[in-house]
Amino acid sequence: MLHQIVGGLKNALGLNRPGRNMAVFPDDVFVVSYPKSGNTWTRFLIANLVHPNERANFANINRLVPDPEALSRRELDRLPHPRYIKSHQYFDPRYPKVIYVVRDPRDVALSHYHFQRKRKVLADSDRIEPFVSRFVAGGTSSYGSWGENVAGWLATRNGSAGFLLVRYEDMLAKPNDELARVASFLSIAAHAAQIYQAVQRSSADEMRSMERNQAHLWSTTKDTRQDIPFVREAKAGGWKSELPQISIDEIESKWGGLMRYLGYETKGSESGHDAVFESVLTGLGR
Amino acid sequence: MIYGLRKVVLYWVGKDIAGRNLAVYPDDTFIVSYPRSGNTWTRFLIANLLHPTESITFANIERFIPDCEAQSSRYLKSIPRPRVIKSHEYFDHRYKKVIYIVRDPRDIVLSYYDFQRKYRQIEDGYPMARYVEDFLHGRLSSADWGTWRENVASWLSTRQGNPDFLLVRYEDLIAGSQHEMERIAVFLGLEPQAELLTHAIELSSADRMRAMENLQGTEWISTRNKRSDIPFIGGAKAGGWKQKLPPESIAAIETAWGPLMLRLGYNLQSVPAPDVEMEAAF
Repeated sequence: MLHQIVGGLKNALGLNRPGRNMAVFPDDVFVVSYPKSGNTWTRFLIANLVHPNERANFANINRLVPDPEALSRRELDRLPHPRYIKSHQYFDPRYPKVIYVVRDPRDVALSHYHFQRKRKVLADSDRIEPFVSRFVAGGTSSYGSWGENVAGWLATRNGSAGFLLVRYEDMLAKPNDELARVASFLSIAAHAAQIYQAVQRSSADEMRSMERNQAHLWSTTKDTRQDIPFVREAKAGGWKSELPQISIDEIESKWGGLMRYLGYETKGSESGHDAVFESVLTGLGR
Repeated sequence: MIYGLRKVVLYWVGKDIAGRNLAVYPDDTFIVSYPRSGNTWTRFLIANLLHPTESITFANIERFIPDCEAQSSRYLKSIPRPRVIKSHEYFDHRYKKVIYIVRDPRDIVLSYYDFQRKYRQIEDGYPMARYVEDFLHGRLSSADWGTWRENVASWLSTRQGNPDFLLVRYEDLIAGSQHEMERIAVFLGLEPQAELLTHAIELSSADRMRAMENLQGTEWISTRNKRSDIPFIGGAKAGGWKQKLPPESIAAIETAWGPLMLRLGYNLQSVPAPDVEMEAAF
């Protein structure tokens, strides 16, 4: 009851964090991904691209590329336009312009497992296998399952003018090229030198060193275990050595079709799920 | 500030609209569709199937299968569980068990046109070709639900193949009511007894629903204070677009959404079937 009264008061004063209910403006740009898919890195890249005179860090990132789960409605309403907004939401037709970052779900699962340890949701003694089972069933996140989040956005928006699909793995392999694609999507005329500077300022090493100094200033890392970093390995394919085979199989059998569509190699056999997924994507057009 | 306060007050006095803020329970079942796709008919069919001894009318349908986009959070919490809830929402991952009804968008647009005239959202003479463009781009009130393609694709791409997702075509429901009702009954975990299905179908016939709308139109939240010279229950048939929709509008819809329509079994009239191999990669 008290909880509801406080919630009601916050809502009335615009102090609530709106999350999925945020008011969307026609010139908003959203940086969307499933959690643990490189969203924070992308936020830094975009912040450093858009604001070359203000280095992005963990203390100012919520102002430069705000998170509607961390800022109040009042704060979000007062930001200058156009706003570049971070989001993990599954498909929302109100989002006018979307940069969607996708990552191999086998690496996402692994990263999510460590993140849940950092947040003390999981204990170190909790094994990864049952976590992956819940991950596959969509039970580890309020943003839908990885497949629901990715497929929902692709099926509704991929190929349309206001949607840019970026693979985390491509950003790692050629960050300058990928950020140039983002800049062109955002109609930001940026020289190679500006792109290069934004990439340097957002490097994994830079971000690790900023995290060490500022973890207590950022809503996402505040009050979490400091012995596990938020910016972890920042690499692709860690699942090959760290994820148990049974968990790999579980992910591939659930999302093999979608993974192959995105260019993530799997053990290849055409399973029943594949047929379903292919047929779903096949008919959707633009 | 004013907006926030208004929202809080409406919530507290039970005058808000639950919509996407609906508190979802794990045992809820949802009847989801884009607007004007046969959702109300399906609600009556299912309400009559689940409550064979009740007389389901427009005056009490909200008690048996409430509309989460017309009712308040408080009202929806008062409905006994397990609830069956009507919704037009695009994909919401909290909806665990979903009956998704899909209808030919060429018929939907005609029905939506009359509906928006009934709701006084457009004038009587609003040009149909312009309306179809509005519809294709998700303008007018349809914006709340995404475009037809977004709504349908958001559900199919996430849930198709899931045992807790049942796709029903409105056209099949008309042509083979008994068979489709059997699928729905099994999905709901009911014994599909033929006489119960027949009973529910008869009680939910278009003629009966029209008669009830005449009697109870002022008692139902969705028809109260709307124009009474335009009925909520439209033609209740499939393929009306062939006579009524201008050829350029048919072409516009088929060009925009042809692949998804084909996948759902709606044949195209104006554009050749796309090369399926090409479409496999979008």
